[in-house]
Amino acid sequence: MHRKSTGYLFVLPALLVLGMLIAYPVAYTGLLSVTDNQGNLVGLDNFRAILGARATPTAFFNTLWWVVGSIVFQVVLGVLTAILLNQKFRGRAIVRSVTLIPWVVPGIVAATTWAWMLHTEFGIINYMLTAPGVLEEPVGWLTNGSTVLPVMIAINVWKMFPFVAIMVLAGLQSISNDLYEAARIDGASFWEEVWYVMLPQVRPVIVAVTLLLVIWALNHITIIYAITRGGPANRTLITPIQIFRTAFESVQFNQAAALSVMFFAVAITVVFFYIRTTAGNAGASK
Amino acid sequence: MGSVSIRDVRKSYGSMEILHGVSIDIADGEFVVLVGPSGCGKSTLLRMLAGLEEITGGEIAIDDKVVNALHPKERDIAMVFQSYALYPHMTVAQNMGFSLKLGRAPKEEIGRRVAKAADMLSLTPYLDRYPRQLSGGQRQRVAMGRAMVRDPKVFLFDEPLSNLDAKLRVQMRSEIKQNHQRLKTTTVYVTHDQIEAMTMADRIVVMHDGVVEQIGTPLELYDFPRNLFVAAFIGSPSMNILSGKLSGNSFITADSSAINLPFIPASTNDETVSLGIRPEHFALDPNGMAAEVITVEPTGSETQVAMLLGGHEVVAVFRERITTRPGECLTVKLDPERIHLFDGQSGLRLGQD
Repeated sequence: MHRKSTGYLFVLPALLVLGMLIAYPVAYTGLLSVTDNQGNLVGLDNFRAILGARATPTAFFNTLWWVVGSIVFQVVLGVLTAILLNQKFRGRAIVRSVTLIPWVVPGIVAATTWAWMLHTEFGIINYMLTAPGVLEEPVGWLTNGSTVLPVMIAINVWKMFPFVAIMVLAGLQSISNDLYEAARIDGASFWEEVWYVMLPQVRPVIVAVTLLLVIWALNHITIIYAITRGGPANRTLITPIQIFRTAFESVQFNQAAALSVMFFAVAITVVFFYIRTTAGNAGASK
Repeated sequence: MGSVSIRDVRKSYGSMEILHGVSIDIADGEFVVLVGPSGCGKSTLLRMLAGLEEITGGEIAIDDKVVNALHPKERDIAMVFQSYALYPHMTVAQNMGFSLKLGRAPKEEIGRRVAKAADMLSLTPYLDRYPRQLSGGQRQRVAMGRAMVRDPKVFLFDEPLSNLDAKLRVQMRSEIKQNHQRLKTTTVYVTHDQIEAMTMADRIVVMHDGVVEQIGTPLELYDFPRNLFVAAFIGSPSMNILSGKLSGNSFITADSSAINLPFIPASTNDETVSLGIRPEHFALDPNGMAAEVITVEPTGSETQVAMLLGGHEVVAVFRERITTRPGECLTVKLDPERIHLFDGQSGLRLGQD
């Protein structure tokens, strides 16, 4: 029997596709980052140039805010939703399905819809806030420098918290009912049940989901690019969008590649922790 | 410590009533076992006592205080679950001290009470371990320890030994009994295993289809079963039941052989009756009835013989060593003092007790 070689044959198509779509672009980006647009080796010049650009530190701090803000609210809201959806109440199945909608809606559709809803003059949000007198003046949600990044984060939270909720809910459902009953007999209130029984049991799920969310938030383009393209005045410029714009709007592929390489190093670190965590979970559950 | 009073308790799920008015009085310090086949409502009753199921009708009182509307934590009870329900992310010590921690007890007191319970249950070396690092018997002990540290009015056990192997079950049975003798805490224990019930209980409550069939001490149930269900349920191997007719002071079997009765039953309104005789109440007697041997099972201390008697297959247990083979005939006598008679229709016990 040719067991080993048969195995390789089976994975070959997938490996070829991965090689063409992932390995080659990664390697080529590495090459671009140390050459100029003529293809001459220039050492670390591209890195120096892009790190010296005014937008780079702005994008770095925006990215930090974007990732931290998104993750904190996605996880907190997602976990609370999961706890709620784990309770027995009438219409639970419907509420569970409805909760999933934001996650199922394509990112570009959601972004466009939100852009219209948040429009300063015609948006329904300003209408709803000004009509009953909650706000005196319409707010320029997407044009005001101090509201635009929080609004982007809010949209991202809205888009992704159902994912957290569904994953954590699956974890909660695997907890034996006896544990809740034992806790109730031990004298736990509802929130003590949550704190001492539910959360410790789903902690591995929360950790894994959080790392996934960090990876996705780091790689995020759709919502921000579709709504603000990083503006106004770079207030929503996060690093992936900076890379995109440097490459395809300023046509500076080599500097974009240099930034990509640095960004890749950060992302790969998170991925490493994710893989180690999930592999650890698989080991622990045996 | 506390007494428990269950008065005409009912439980329905929708229109389906599964407990049809159960009344049990449990004295302070008593060890009461609820026993019955699965689906008889014994676990539901225990969970209602614990406050995990709502009470549809009737009243449950602990120490003369009606607890129907109280949450489990306000009832001062502790429960040991069949699955043990240990918190997997807590150590043995944390599991045992959890209820005290929730009750905001000072740290030193928690430590002291956990140490005391751990000492009683020989768990001291395992206090820092997690439940997954323990054997089945140790987990079972932790579950008991968790109940003991609280020093509740009532202990509730829900089939706590079902997940253990046979040898460990016997060992834990006596440990539970010893702990009860030391602590003297009122205990309600649910099992489907009548041997567990017989060996552990001060009093047994036999349940069947949502009603109490009989309440009594183990030997009362064994010697004077109130009806056919209790007669057949208690005892192993179970009581032999022969159906036949009454004629004067004799019982006539299906194949017309007569068995003399020590008394004439009071109510003979229906002539069809069932005669019950326990396997150990047969004796070899040359003048007895003829019985054809079907199988012989020697266990060393006794010999169990299945045989055909009066048209019925019966099981007899003899203390003496018998050398007989399938197909041969034995002549046996039924101990007349140990014969039970039951009404053919209602299944109720007949005659004087």
